[in-house]
Amino acid sequence: MSRLRLDDLSLAQGARTVLEGLSGSFPDGAITALVGANGAGKSTLIQGIMGILPPLAGRIECDVPKERRAWLPQQLALDLSFPMSVEELVMTGSWPTRGALRGYRSSQYRQARAVMQRLGITHLSHRPLGELSGGQRQRALLGRTLMQEAELLLLDEPFANVDSDTVNVLIQVLRDMADQGSTIIVVLHDLEHLSRLADCVLTLTGGHAQWATPHEVLERHGAMDLTSQAPFAPLNLSDSSSCST
Amino acid sequence: MLDLITPLADYGFMRRALIAGLALSLAAPPLGVFLMLRGMSLIGDAMAHAILPGVALGFLMAGFSLPAMSLGGILSGLVVAGLAGGVSQMTGHREDSAMASFYLISLAAGVMLVSLGGSSVDLTHVLFGSILAVDTTALLLIAAVSTATVLLLAIMFRALVMECLDPLFLRGQGVRPGLIQGVFLGLVVINLTAGFQTLGTLMAVGLMMLPATAARFWSKRLEGLMGLAIVIAMLASTGGLLLSYHLDLPSGPSIILLAGIAYLLSALFGRYNSLLVRLRRRAAPLDTVRNGTSST
Repeated sequence: MSRLRLDDLSLAQGARTVLEGLSGSFPDGAITALVGANGAGKSTLIQGIMGILPPLAGRIECDVPKERRAWLPQQLALDLSFPMSVEELVMTGSWPTRGALRGYRSSQYRQARAVMQRLGITHLSHRPLGELSGGQRQRALLGRTLMQEAELLLLDEPFANVDSDTVNVLIQVLRDMADQGSTIIVVLHDLEHLSRLADCVLTLTGGHAQWATPHEVLERHGAMDLTSQAPFAPLNLSDSSSCST
Repeated sequence: MLDLITPLADYGFMRRALIAGLALSLAAPPLGVFLMLRGMSLIGDAMAHAILPGVALGFLMAGFSLPAMSLGGILSGLVVAGLAGGVSQMTGHREDSAMASFYLISLAAGVMLVSLGGSSVDLTHVLFGSILAVDTTALLLIAAVSTATVLLLAIMFRALVMECLDPLFLRGQGVRPGLIQGVFLGLVVINLTAGFQTLGTLMAVGLMMLPATAARFWSKRLEGLMGLAIVIAMLASTGGLLLSYHLDLPSGPSIILLAGIAYLLSALFGRYNSLLVRLRRRAAPLDTVRNGTSST
């Protein structure tokens, strides 16, 4: 049974309905790529899943507790001038479980150090966020989600403006998290990333969703960039057994 | 040297003024730090003007009654903040433009009300305060506001940090940023109201913002910013009081000018991004950059 299910879901931004009649479930322990043209509703769906945007109709059923739901925003969504170091950002991942007042335990500092080591950013632990490169920032943000021990992880274009080494590290960490049972949804624009990362694909087009396997998407779109294909041609769902509708 | 500080021990009004100044210095600068980090430095100024009509109404109805003027100030500040937020949401215009409009209306209305009901001396008192005339009631109010501010800031500290850094993370945890913003602006209003008795409505915001903006040149850590801002505010309050006593200067402007001098010196000689640092800046060697030990 999936821990995240959509039931005839419709979402709107202001007076504009963006998504309509979405149904299906995101497989546990798997990475689902969310693809679609700009404005197709990818970020809207993520906001809905995070509980930020209430459904216009239908339901989002999520069995993952709020403190285990993590969100990796686009880098531009962060205030990078905020006076915070990499280690402090990673430690904020423990806030949802520590609450407003409880301080850090020494075991949490050890956990943060282990997370930074895994992501290759130990040497940056005291560096302010504003002095990091795009790839370093993305590693630090993923460190926060690892610290949060996320069971549901939503990532919005995590590979944008990121170097290839960082892409490799992020893909490996995300794969490990999925193997440990986390449900991961990632907004992607690049077919290469999709082929390396995704177990399942949810394509948004014209306000509607279609589930498919990565193989189907890759066959249909060849080597072309996902954003240049909008709107997507209808996908053949006959072999989509691994991804539910 | 001792002669310089003995007035603080010798005179009750100086002791009360000192305690009032220190209490305000403990609570207001951390709020200023968050206002600065949220890009809302001028909102504090706008809110300082927004409390004026309420203070003036309290003055008209009850004379120099601190509870009446404070209550009026708090209500007026909250109403203006709510109206600015409401107009911004309804029209889609940026909140700062609505806030600017309302604070100008508030300032004019406040000055008009005081002028109608009092003398120019009254107006000066409301606008610029009188820290040397702080009585026990005022002191208790300031202490209560300061205590409540520190406690509430401690409780909502993590939410405030996350609201500045990554608001969607906060919303994803089921916390409404509007609630955090509302409580935060409420704290700004009650601190400005507590400060108007001592520094006046126009200068109360000085003790909130100047130490915060000065601290930005000395620390890149949030705790460092807040700690330094508090220290700068306390030094300015104490120094300003003594300056006022020895040189027979008005106390409020003396305190704020000292905080202003701290800002100017920090901008010139501070550790980060000051004029001096920019003049001396050289590229760090590659090995220090790789090791993450470089600082700017």
